[in-house]
Amino acid sequence: MLCLATGKAASKELERIDQLFFSYANNSSGLIDPEGIESFCSDLEVDHTDVRILMLAWKMQAEKQGYFTLDEWRRGLRALRADTIVKLKKALPDLDKEVRRPSTFEDFYTYAFQYCLTEEKQKSIDIESICVLLDLVLGSRFGPQVDYLVQYLKTQTDYKVINMDQWKGFYRFCTEISFPDLSNYDPDSAWPWILDNFVDWMRAKQG
Amino acid sequence: MNSSNQKKRNFQIEAFKHKVVVDPKYADKTWKILEHAITEIYNHNASGLSFEELYRNAYNMVLHKFGEKLYSGLVGTMTLHLQEMAKTIEAAQGNLFLEELNRKWNDHNKALQMIRDILMYMDRTFIPSNRKTPVHELGLNLWRDNVIHSSKIQTRLLDTLLELIQKERTGEIINRGLMRNIIKMLMDLGSSVYQEDFEKHFLEVSADFYRAESQDFIECCDCGDYLKKAERRLNEEIERVSLYLDSKSETKITNVVEKEMIASHMLRLVHMDNSGLVNMLIDDKYEDLGRMYNLFRRVPNGLPTIRDVMTSHLRETGKQLVTDAEKLKDPVEFVQCLLNEKDKYDKIINLAFSNDKTFQNALNSSFEYFINLNPRSPEFISLFVDEKLRKGLKGVSEEDVETILDKVMMLFRYLQEKDVFEKYYKQHLAKRLLSGKTVSDDAERSLIVKLKTECGYQFTSKLEGMFTDMKTSQDTMQGFYAAYAAELGDSPTLVVQVLTTGSWPTQPSITCNLPAEMSALCEKFRSYYLGTHTGRRLSWQTNMGTADLKAIFGKGQKHELNVSTYQMCVLMLFNSADRLSYKEIEQATEIPSSDLRRCLQSLACVKGKNVLRKEPMSKDIGEEDAFFVNDKFTSKFYKVKIGTVVAQKESEPEKQETRQRVEEDRKPQIEAAIVRIMKSRRVLDHNNIIAEVTKQLQSRFLANPGEIKKRIESLIERDFLERDSSDRRLYRYLA
Repeated sequence: MLCLATGKAASKELERIDQLFFSYANNSSGLIDPEGIESFCSDLEVDHTDVRILMLAWKMQAEKQGYFTLDEWRRGLRALRADTIVKLKKALPDLDKEVRRPSTFEDFYTYAFQYCLTEEKQKSIDIESICVLLDLVLGSRFGPQVDYLVQYLKTQTDYKVINMDQWKGFYRFCTEISFPDLSNYDPDSAWPWILDNFVDWMRAKQG
Repeated sequence: MNSSNQKKRNFQIEAFKHKVVVDPKYADKTWKILEHAITEIYNHNASGLSFEELYRNAYNMVLHKFGEKLYSGLVGTMTLHLQEMAKTIEAAQGNLFLEELNRKWNDHNKALQMIRDILMYMDRTFIPSNRKTPVHELGLNLWRDNVIHSSKIQTRLLDTLLELIQKERTGEIINRGLMRNIIKMLMDLGSSVYQEDFEKHFLEVSADFYRAESQDFIECCDCGDYLKKAERRLNEEIERVSLYLDSKSETKITNVVEKEMIASHMLRLVHMDNSGLVNMLIDDKYEDLGRMYNLFRRVPNGLPTIRDVMTSHLRETGKQLVTDAEKLKDPVEFVQCLLNEKDKYDKIINLAFSNDKTFQNALNSSFEYFINLNPRSPEFISLFVDEKLRKGLKGVSEEDVETILDKVMMLFRYLQEKDVFEKYYKQHLAKRLLSGKTVSDDAERSLIVKLKTECGYQFTSKLEGMFTDMKTSQDTMQGFYAAYAAELGDSPTLVVQVLTTGSWPTQPSITCNLPAEMSALCEKFRSYYLGTHTGRRLSWQTNMGTADLKAIFGKGQKHELNVSTYQMCVLMLFNSADRLSYKEIEQATEIPSSDLRRCLQSLACVKGKNVLRKEPMSKDIGEEDAFFVNDKFTSKFYKVKIGTVVAQKESEPEKQETRQRVEEDRKPQIEAAIVRIMKSRRVLDHNNIIAEVTKQLQSRFLANPGEIKKRIESLIERDFLERDSSDRRLYRYLA
């Protein structure tokens, strides 16, 4: 349903959005901090580890994990045309659909990695967190791949952290490679080395 | 004369009319004369004939348009005569057949020549304009048709010729001159006659003959003998052709011999038990090998067959050599075996395979294959060099030294992991320099020059740095003693080598407690050195030094002990104590425990060098052991060498460590190569980058594609490179 907000209605909406923001924000920092997010999530009746929160953050283009700035909040809620918790809740299924569209998903996937880089010069994420993230963003669509990949990541010793290039490689792997036969995996292609090893490990398992 | 009746006429010269012109019987008469003459010629009665008269007769016939009669008459009469000759030939018995044929052929040729002379006018006018066969050629054709192809002669002729050749092949002497004439006759009759009536059958029969003979030989001869026989037969056939066959037959008959005697049995010969190629190689049978080479090069796939068998044999023996546990116990022996093997095959290729380049290449690729099967080859080659430079080259002439070093370089070139060799070479060179144990400085430098030529400046710059340090240290010592001459009169003599870190193999810097006399002296040196060189840091490498101690034992025996620094520290303790426990020694010297154990073992547990006594007398060093000076120590030498700073084959853990260091060193080299390539190409796909990097690093080591991939990913992470957004196989250089 397309609603063209008139000038007056638009500014009313923005007001409500801002109000909603300040209801969760920390007064001294002017940001919604982890505590605020927790109460926001409980109002939304969505667990803060749910992927839909991540999607929300993506919609907001939130920079720092656990925090929302006013600009980010505005950006996200305006795009979703939601100025109340109720409307926000209703908007979530559509958001899910939007994110899962192939054209947008890759962007969301990349965002998910960046969002988890908490330190300033950080470029990689530890294996444990990667496994959680993989399951969160790819688990529903590529269940078997994610299961095996997670198992492999936890047992291998070559890498203690995963970088963006490898992260992107995982998604590409899921969308391009036939699973579990792996018949179209070409080791001479430029797959990240960790995936070459994953494929060897899979093949050894399959005997 | 009635002038009124005279008509006006043109002036005409009328042709001179011979009175015989219109007489038809004239032609017959003339022909009869000629026919008779021909008969006389064939009957060897030509002397009574007049050439001019006969010529004129023939001339007239042609002139008066009787050329056809003359020609057909010639054909007819010659045919009759030839048929008669054929009968005579047919009647000849046994051996006389060929002789008769030859004789009659000569007769016919003489007759033909005379006949042609007589009929020359016809030959030049009537025959060409009427497209008839010229007289000489006609004569040959008639001979062919009436004699050679006569039913009673054709087969008999062929059989006779083949029989004679067969006889000659079985060792009998035949009349070669006669053969030559007969064969020449066939050649003169035209190449198709020679080929159809003789050569074709000759080749077939020869093929059968050689097929059978080769089958017999191969059952009873060994390879060398068989090849001798094949060579002999080949030469025989070549000689046969030169003596009495058409030279064009040479290639054809040699092809037959080559096919039947060599090509058909090639594999069986090469693989023959006890006498085949491999046995010849093992026993250095140069003559047999040379013969095999010369024969096999004549047949398709001959040389590749030899080369392949040689290659697989070489690879097999090489593989056994490098994995032979016995040989691996002695690295110098191991390398010497490799050199011997190379010499052996160089000689074979030189003497027997006429320095054939493809064989040299096969030799090189085989060596490269098996030398690299053993990952310790680089280390062992360095140990070989070490032994030579420490003592092996003592007393050897300069020329011979160069030869040996060149041979070492040749082995070096086969190594894939040249960087591993470099590491060991550096370690061993360091030990040689520090122990002062090099036979010839010139030889050392010569080898470094060779390595530089082969690998470039970077390979050897650090090595040269080591030599410089040694020289500089000498100068420093001179300066030190000059400056402190007065003070140092009574002190022990100190010799310091100052090593620049980076040029020398990396060593962990371990210090221990030096005896008081030494530490004072060392401090003096340190302040002297730092006085003249500001901004530097010195650390004593106590694990690398040596010491000479003068010792007097219980019964007054005097000896000079040549020991390591650690051993010196331990022994000096006994100047102020008779008994020391392991713990006390450890505490006093602060030598790391594994080194201390080795040190004590070398002082107390080795026969002939046991200057210390240990309780209990076990071979191992226990924490509770006690040590005493061995008052009963004896040695027939005044100078006793106990320290070991000589280069040795590494132990397993040392080997692992070196290997790890090599792998670590390779990472930056791979990255540098990747960056270099990407900087110039800007964008490159995965497979090409792997290929380029491998190629660039080839002269140092064989880069592992997996390792290259890891380095690329590391460079991506550090934002040197990125992947192309649409084609994940492409990499892009980020400025």
